[in-house]
Amino acid sequence: MDHAKLERHGVAFAFAILGVASLGGLFEIAPLFTIENTVERVQGMRPYTPLELAGRDIYVREGCYACHSQMIRTLRSDVERYGHFSLAAESMYDHPHQWGSKRTGPDLARIGGKYSDDWHVAHLSAPRDTVPGSVMPGYGFLAEARLNTETLPQSLAALARIGVPYTSEQITGAARDAVRQADAEAEYEDDLWDSYGHTVQIRDFDGDPDRLTEMDALVAYLQMLGSLVDLENLRLEDLNQ
Amino acid sequence: MRPEFDEISGKQTTGHEWNGIRELNTPMPKAFRLWLWASIAVAAFMWVLYPSFPLVTGALQGVLGYSARQNVLAAVADGIATREASFAALNEVPLDEFARDPSFRANHEEAFSVLFRDNCSACHGRDAGGQVGFPDLTDGHWLWSGTAEEIEYTLQVGINADHDETRFAQMPAFGRDEWLSQSELSDVAEYVLSLSGQDHDADAAQIGAVVFEDNCASCHNDAGVGGYENGAPSLADDAWIYGSSRAAIMYTLEHGRAGGMPAWSDRLTETEIKQITLYLLWQGQTDG
Repeated sequence: MDHAKLERHGVAFAFAILGVASLGGLFEIAPLFTIENTVERVQGMRPYTPLELAGRDIYVREGCYACHSQMIRTLRSDVERYGHFSLAAESMYDHPHQWGSKRTGPDLARIGGKYSDDWHVAHLSAPRDTVPGSVMPGYGFLAEARLNTETLPQSLAALARIGVPYTSEQITGAARDAVRQADAEAEYEDDLWDSYGHTVQIRDFDGDPDRLTEMDALVAYLQMLGSLVDLENLRLEDLNQ
Repeated sequence: MRPEFDEISGKQTTGHEWNGIRELNTPMPKAFRLWLWASIAVAAFMWVLYPSFPLVTGALQGVLGYSARQNVLAAVADGIATREASFAALNEVPLDEFARDPSFRANHEEAFSVLFRDNCSACHGRDAGGQVGFPDLTDGHWLWSGTAEEIEYTLQVGINADHDETRFAQMPAFGRDEWLSQSELSDVAEYVLSLSGQDHDADAAQIGAVVFEDNCASCHNDAGVGGYENGAPSLADDAWIYGSSRAAIMYTLEHGRAGGMPAWSDRLTETEIKQITLYLLWQGQTDG
């Protein structure tokens, strides 16, 4: 019996195990070699602005992904409730992605623009005041915490090293751009729009224009989610490439 | 040790031996092995039918041409078409007629409430009764008028939203931006309290009335009755969005207000917006 032969030859058996186990690895890694074909070429996707990125880091820091997914599946129930199904392109600048595998709260892939800034601030501060029965913890401290913008250039630089197309100007100006995005009074709209595109929302997000807080960053991030790609002019043919 | 025949079971042993204990060489049941090979065969069959392996410049698409994305888009479009067809009348007959039709309400209120709960209740509450910062939609007091057409329009374009045609309303931060002094602010607060018949300091209110006339009446109108044309709330009734206390009024005067409502024309179909409009008209009927 072949099996018996294999078991009696230690070295050959070790190689056989190696061969079979690496098949598993191969099947996981192989799709990454074709990632160019997986990520759709769509209009509107852009790297996150420094303020949005800071908000994303807070989102990850607070573990929001443990209860909220950011992936609308190709199921009718998902699409009717949350909007157009998610595209690979929409997480192309996410390192790591926030798809999630658990929905204790709703999916957030297209939460941007669904509610007002005021609601986000009120809800994050005291979830049960706006949504009775919610089990979400309160994050009121974000409105008190000044946003640390000092590390933003390094954050952008790190992402640039793994392929997010930030320019060196964007990297060096990251802290300044974060402040400007939350300051609707200042006349920097054109600078930000020239640099990041016209989907950048510029205003005071947390209702306190005097300070740049972590709440500003998180709300800016949430209000951007799912709103970048031009879904209106999206054709299915473009997705299959 | 060599494999040998075990007389009791009638089977071969494996030839292993541990302290005199030998092991029968019992093969895996045939049914198990068949099942394994059958599932591999089914998998191979499915690889041919459905999208499977990634290739260098794409992926195997399968002979069925199956696409989960195409299917879900078709299913969603189908659902929308069915709903549009069954509510086509909403686009032809003025909503007011449906609003007054008790049998139409009885048949559809429950279904329309789902739309409201999915999209509106986060701010306005499950009963549409509002909460601090978000207006009560059942009390008959409206910022931009409560007619069917105006409610529908507000739903489409939002308030202070990113829609090109959005309704725009903003109360300036009279205190923070130093448009008024602190004493003027507290005087005008007393006047506002007096408008809705709350306890107030009559002398301060008298001074505040002049300040109100100069700074506030252009939006809130004389005697603070508000105006639909610019979305300024009435200050003379008992409906308050941000609270009627002296402290709440002072906060509003200090920091201003610019409540926002998203524009729904991109997220909801025209028919869905009409359904929510009807639902709101009905809620007003219940309570007002």
